[in-house]
Amino acid sequence: MGLLALGTALDWPDAKQHANKVREWGIKQLLEIWSKAKTKERDALLWGDEVEYLVVTYSKDDPKVLLSLRQADILTALAADEELSAKGGGVPALQDPQHQSNPLPVFHPEFGRFMLEATPGKPWGIGFKELLDVEPDMKLRRKIAKEHMKSNEYPITLTTFPRLGVPGVFTDPYFPPSGSKLRSQFVPDEIANPHIRFPTLAANIRWRRGRKVQVNVPVFHDVKTSKPWKDPSVNYDLHNWPEDDDVRNGASPDDFIHMDAMAFGMGSCCLQITFQAKNITEGRKMYDQLSPIGPIMLALTAATPIYKGFLADTDVRWNQISRAVDDRTPEELGEKPLKEDRWRIPKSRYASNSTYISTDNRLRPEYMDPNLVIDESIKEQLLEGGMDDRLATHFAHLFIRDPIVIFSEDLKELDMTKADHFENIQSTNWQHMRFKPPPAGSDIGWRVEFRPMEIQITDFENAAFSVFMVLITRAILSFDLNFYIPIAKVDENMETAHARDAVLEKKFYFRKNPFPTRPARSAVASGTSTPVVSRPPTPTGPVEDEYALMTVDEVINGSNSEEHDFPGLIPIVESYLDSVNVDVRTRCELDTYLKLIRLRASGELWTAAKWIRRFVSKHPAYQQDSVVDDTVTKDLVGAVIDISDREQLGKGWKGLDVPDLERLLGGFRGGCGGSRD
Amino acid sequence: MGIVFSCLERLGLFGQSSSRTMTRLILSTGNIISGGPSIIRKPGAYRSNLEFTNSLRSSFLAAQQDYGAASTNGSAKDAATNGKPSSQINGDRPATDIWTQRDGDALYVPRIDWSGAGLQEERAQYEITLKLFFLPTAPAADRPKYITAAMDLVKKELGVADVDLLIVSFPGMSFQGDCEWEADKMNGSMGNDEEELYTWTALEALHQQGQIQRLGIAEFGSEKLSNFITKVKVRPAVDQINIKNCCNVPPPLAQLAKEADIELLTHSDCTDILPSGTLRELLGQGPDGAGILADERTRPGLQGNLVPQWVVKYTAFVKDRGVIENKGYFAGAELEE
Repeated sequence: MGLLALGTALDWPDAKQHANKVREWGIKQLLEIWSKAKTKERDALLWGDEVEYLVVTYSKDDPKVLLSLRQADILTALAADEELSAKGGGVPALQDPQHQSNPLPVFHPEFGRFMLEATPGKPWGIGFKELLDVEPDMKLRRKIAKEHMKSNEYPITLTTFPRLGVPGVFTDPYFPPSGSKLRSQFVPDEIANPHIRFPTLAANIRWRRGRKVQVNVPVFHDVKTSKPWKDPSVNYDLHNWPEDDDVRNGASPDDFIHMDAMAFGMGSCCLQITFQAKNITEGRKMYDQLSPIGPIMLALTAATPIYKGFLADTDVRWNQISRAVDDRTPEELGEKPLKEDRWRIPKSRYASNSTYISTDNRLRPEYMDPNLVIDESIKEQLLEGGMDDRLATHFAHLFIRDPIVIFSEDLKELDMTKADHFENIQSTNWQHMRFKPPPAGSDIGWRVEFRPMEIQITDFENAAFSVFMVLITRAILSFDLNFYIPIAKVDENMETAHARDAVLEKKFYFRKNPFPTRPARSAVASGTSTPVVSRPPTPTGPVEDEYALMTVDEVINGSNSEEHDFPGLIPIVESYLDSVNVDVRTRCELDTYLKLIRLRASGELWTAAKWIRRFVSKHPAYQQDSVVDDTVTKDLVGAVIDISDREQLGKGWKGLDVPDLERLLGGFRGGCGGSRD
Repeated sequence: MGIVFSCLERLGLFGQSSSRTMTRLILSTGNIISGGPSIIRKPGAYRSNLEFTNSLRSSFLAAQQDYGAASTNGSAKDAATNGKPSSQINGDRPATDIWTQRDGDALYVPRIDWSGAGLQEERAQYEITLKLFFLPTAPAADRPKYITAAMDLVKKELGVADVDLLIVSFPGMSFQGDCEWEADKMNGSMGNDEEELYTWTALEALHQQGQIQRLGIAEFGSEKLSNFITKVKVRPAVDQINIKNCCNVPPPLAQLAKEADIELLTHSDCTDILPSGTLRELLGQGPDGAGILADERTRPGLQGNLVPQWVVKYTAFVKDRGVIENKGYFAGAELEE
């Protein structure tokens, strides 16, 4: 999250009064940036990954593992050390000759006060050898982070903390819940980053919505789980805030784990990749083509089976974040007739994306979202400013939202050299793809962010998924691939990806033939016999014939069913690598990453979600009642810390007393005791 | 994993060589990078010429469709006026001279529309790599001619004056066995040192003229390579080897490459990329053929002894974006009628 300018944040009733002004100024800033950068050309591929960590306190002797709320102190320590190293000092790890030439990784605050985000010190390029630097850099980030923590604090890459929001103590230090900002009966206000932006964001989302957010996840019914199941941690007798009525009014239905604060969603860790495009056209194309791949990667990286101390019946974080920041009013949700609000809005601000924006002539009108809500007057302004219909529609869709956090200082005058008002709306539209204009006043190009992936336990896995995404974009651009399906089917796929073990059990809509149609040499009437190559014809067959339901295995590894012979994303990437100059060692290392993804898709290796489920169900303290208690959580986090420590040592996981580790990590990186890889 | 069968096929030639008329066949695939499935590797195919042969087949078919359509809807007279009448109607296929082009003793299959030639951005943005396969069916003495022919075609197709890397693949060389260790040992006795050095001299000249920035060889094991570099003026900058499952470069080769500053690159081509039987099938009257060659009495067409000479694969890679803009093949063969 960016936008850390200091100032006086407005409460929702005030902010609401200024929403139109922010939108109006935001559109002016957007038009300024767009008209300056629309002809920007030939930017290199630069890309970056973002890894997010939970910080926990753990010691073998303590019965409980807790979330550490020392984010600010840790960041201060990191910042101090970066200054030191800029002066030629630094910490021993940074003087490692291998890394001397690389700028230090950069650490950022996140919403949760128990979270950290780390990015590489400079963006990556596309030298194939450079792709091999990603994993060591991720390991270095974790090492540096750990070195600036207390000895009992650890950065771990689980998507969510299994005991977040349980009754009693789950943070260090302890704070009681039911604060004025979040009004959550489960988590304290202190769970959020104390920077005024974050509590304001949470409070104003709640305020705009008219009640607390409702993050309800279906519980996993184990053999001893009662049916119906009522979340035993919900307190129906709380009377501190008006919002305490929510649960008495049905906010916590049977068979769902009930959560009531932004922290339950925005406190999740993800793996996000941002790519710089050659120009706006390529950026728009990448945005569209990566969109249908999103749900596949979400299912494939599934890592989130536990919420608030209970096993959930879903495997991924996505919908929980979506609900945790859903600021829609009852009118917008369609629960009440429209009176105050302008429209009904089908999706949360955090959701799968709803627009295709490319100028590709293979983009058929049938693929577009028939329920897309846009602000017509904003679209009109953008069109008047010279923007084309498709892109104007995209931004007019994002701009149906209100700005949530407004600083009064920013309302004094419009600064056209900045993008703050535009970014206010843009960066609180958390769709699974994000199309990012160049930052004002920079040399950076048009960028596309791929946001659906879940963070993985090891840096090896995180590097593998990052590198795979880079390679698939290169293959898409080189082979001019076409993954278009109706965007409504991408939405459906996003839902499908939530199911327990969706990676093996579910099927996803995917385009059967990704190849471009051959450009025909068409005869010209000018008397020459030489046909001229024309643009490929716009396809016209029924859209329904273009896609089929496929397993993740078929999408990733290819298939040969009667209905289609989709080649598979991995064979496509391999074919790309076959066509470029790559040295033997690099190719073999890249193959290792591709192999991990291949095995996860085929089910030979498990997702983190499946591994965590098995870990819980095999644990002696688990009672087959869906409850993940302190003991199980401590051992799970302990295992994750052990895995990470071993990874730092580079010695593999052999001999670790962790159940089923070989099903998660196979023989990779020294292996778990089986055959080497 | 063994090599793909199609690399090994050596079908006998039928048709006797009797006459003295020579036709130089220039086969081309055009840009195959966005040409669809033929560029996508099939599962398990670690080494094959399928990309090349499938792309050639698609290229012939596409030209037949496009030029055939052009000739039937109004431009037929244009196509038919540049020389011979379009008499060779072969079944459903359009007449050969509609979609191919004769230029002196050369026959372009299919005809090439050079108006679309060239790269989208300036030359410096690209890394242009050629791999030139000398085929076992052709005499080594003619290789300098083949180098010129291949270079000229690629330079024209990409609109460039020079290339960054040219890798040569000599016939009879391979780098395979159960594992790379074994491959390295077997490799020592392969190929023909004398012919390879002779060929290299011609390449060194082009390097010195600035037409080829870096030279490379393919499938050289440690023994071949260490001999080779002592005898040449310009050392290869690249040795391209085919790795399969074990991913272990044999230590002697790794050591040598490091000392001699030779980059070890990977590939998945087979050395005998265009056996004459395959070529005859591609150009013949069979269901997958282009219908250029005569079929004993039943169908007219070119006759005689068909000798594949060389194949060049070219790739134009946008360096700082990792995008392949153009990839294709040309092949040269001689038909002795």
